[in-house]
Amino acid sequence: MNRKMFFLVSLILIFCVPTLSQTGSKKKRPLPYEYGQVVINNFSDRAGMDPVVFQHWIHRSMFTCRVCHVDVGFGMKAGATGIKAIDNERGYYCGACHNGKKVVDGKTVFQACSTNATSEDQKRCDRCHSLNKKNVASDFDFFKFSAPLPKERFGNGIDWEKSEILGFIAPSKYLDVGSTMNKNLALQKDFSLNPKVEGMPEIIFSHKKHTVWNGCELCHPDIFMGVKKGATKYSMLDISEGRSCGACHTTVAFPIADCQRCHSKPVQP
Amino acid sequence: MPMCSNRKGTRRNRRGPFLLALILGVLFLANNAWAQIYLPGPPPEQPSDYGKVILDSYSPAAGMHAVEFDHWQHRARFTCRLCHVDIGFAMEAKATGIQAATIRQGFHCGACHDGKRTFAGKTIFAACSDDRHDQRCVRCHSVGVPNARKEEYRTFTAKLPKAFYGVDWEGAEKSGLIKPVDFLEGVSVRRPPMQSREDFSIKAGYSWVNPIVFSHEKHSIWNGCELCHPEIFPTAKRGTGRYSMFANIEGRFCGACHGKVAFPLNNCRFCHPRAPTWVAQ
Amino acid sequence: MSKTRFIATLFFMGLTAQFGVRASDEPIGAAPQTAQVQQSWQREFEDVCSRTQDAMTFSQAELTALIQRCDALQGKIDKLDDTQKKVYMGRLRMCRGLYAYVLESKRNEKK
Repeated sequence: MNRKMFFLVSLILIFCVPTLSQTGSKKKRPLPYEYGQVVINNFSDRAGMDPVVFQHWIHRSMFTCRVCHVDVGFGMKAGATGIKAIDNERGYYCGACHNGKKVVDGKTVFQACSTNATSEDQKRCDRCHSLNKKNVASDFDFFKFSAPLPKERFGNGIDWEKSEILGFIAPSKYLDVGSTMNKNLALQKDFSLNPKVEGMPEIIFSHKKHTVWNGCELCHPDIFMGVKKGATKYSMLDISEGRSCGACHTTVAFPIADCQRCHSKPVQP
Repeated sequence: MPMCSNRKGTRRNRRGPFLLALILGVLFLANNAWAQIYLPGPPPEQPSDYGKVILDSYSPAAGMHAVEFDHWQHRARFTCRLCHVDIGFAMEAKATGIQAATIRQGFHCGACHDGKRTFAGKTIFAACSDDRHDQRCVRCHSVGVPNARKEEYRTFTAKLPKAFYGVDWEGAEKSGLIKPVDFLEGVSVRRPPMQSREDFSIKAGYSWVNPIVFSHEKHSIWNGCELCHPEIFPTAKRGTGRYSMFANIEGRFCGACHGKVAFPLNNCRFCHPRAPTWVAQ
Repeated sequence: MSKTRFIATLFFMGLTAQFGVRASDEPIGAAPQTAQVQQSWQREFEDVCSRTQDAMTFSQAELTALIQRCDALQGKIDKLDDTQKKVYMGRLRMCRGLYAYVLESKRNEKK
């Protein structure tokens, strides 16, 4: 009987599978102000609140990636951290800054998650628990914010790297959560990665550019575990599915649609 | 346990395999019907309808006629890459999420239709004004509105070479009748050109089908690289991607363009150049 | 009541007072020296994990020592309350992970 069922199910799948796959079509591209948006819904639904919408563009202008993802301890995928209201209230995760006391750029950061919130606090709750809400209060307007910044294609439409070089933004490397002192790293040299496809320009990978904002532990060993250069093989498909470079360069850092940002070494004629 | 198959056909024994065959047959046909079995449907009767996209995600709810977007007006003037890569339109109807709000912010249609940008000496009209009664609205929100369009297909395409489905755009560009623009100030970013790849042939799924000759050069002139890679064609190593005519007819892979906007799949020889003549329509 | 039962009752009442459900977020088992105990593991954590950016300059022996200190810290962090445990376990994992990664790559280089 079991064998029959297996046979039957596999036959059904063989005949139905062609229409089930979804590759081969272009996905919706998020608008510049939507790019880097993370929807967090581990517990919000259960608590009867709208899921949280986190905007990377606001935060990345003020802090390096490392401060949040290593020092504060946020995960690299939506829902991976498991943030609870009580964690925020105790001064961890979002509450490391969003505590009603900390001052950033001259503004006091609003408090996140108070367990004895009243209906008057609803507006404050809505600032984060804002999925499906319109006209949510915010101290930042994307257009005003991004107007003076150097532009680039795709993603937020902002060249974040150039913005820092030109002094438009100054992401802080420290936060008083026991941020580990980030002195100048022993610099790794840039190196080139050979693409698998002939004719594609080589990728010039800059450790310097990456470690300035990420430190070491953000990538090693979680995202890049190979210890020998060139030993780990990954393809554009892996990257587009969020592995290796795709951990950042699909949703928050400049997306892989921009081929020449990485494939930048001119091919010798 | 006695072997039931030794018994001569009792009704109960015959029913099982028969039902199985029936279910599988129905599933198979339904699957193929879904994928528009074997042959793609013919292109629309009116060549002006080829490449038409109806956008009605929000218009009806807002009390307006649905939007009718004509590819022929735009592809004569701009490359595919400009809209689908630089501006960021999706390749399926209603997949982009265009709203009046986004247009007014300068995204999507608003990247050009802002009342300030000029093309060929004329100012491009601003889309989505705040005034509901503005006569401009009907220039796009024109589904069901007769004589709403300013540009007429026949006059526009009078001098352009024709193909069985509409305009032969490749021929039009070769003869210099159209010069699609590939750069939009403030939106596009100049990049060093990538090396042009050689044409190569793709083996068809069935041995009796002639191979496809694919030209990267012809495609990348209008599409660049990012339009197809990696979203539509994710694999990097040639020959590792697997897709069939079913997928193309469904609108995936080659069918993302060929069938809706670029030349349709009806004439086999456009891609399978050595296909026998009796196959071509 | 017998003497034994009386002593047993007192004993269990004392245990309950010590280990019963607490409303505050302080680690269970924390007596008057709470603040100092907390700080000592935190100081150790900051000392160990503040050197990750210099990891490439350490010798294999130094890296091994750091990894051992991380392992020792793991035991202490495991006893903390939910929130602190969640946060610091994650941070420790990344910190220890990096040292182990650099150690392995140095060993690999030598080969």
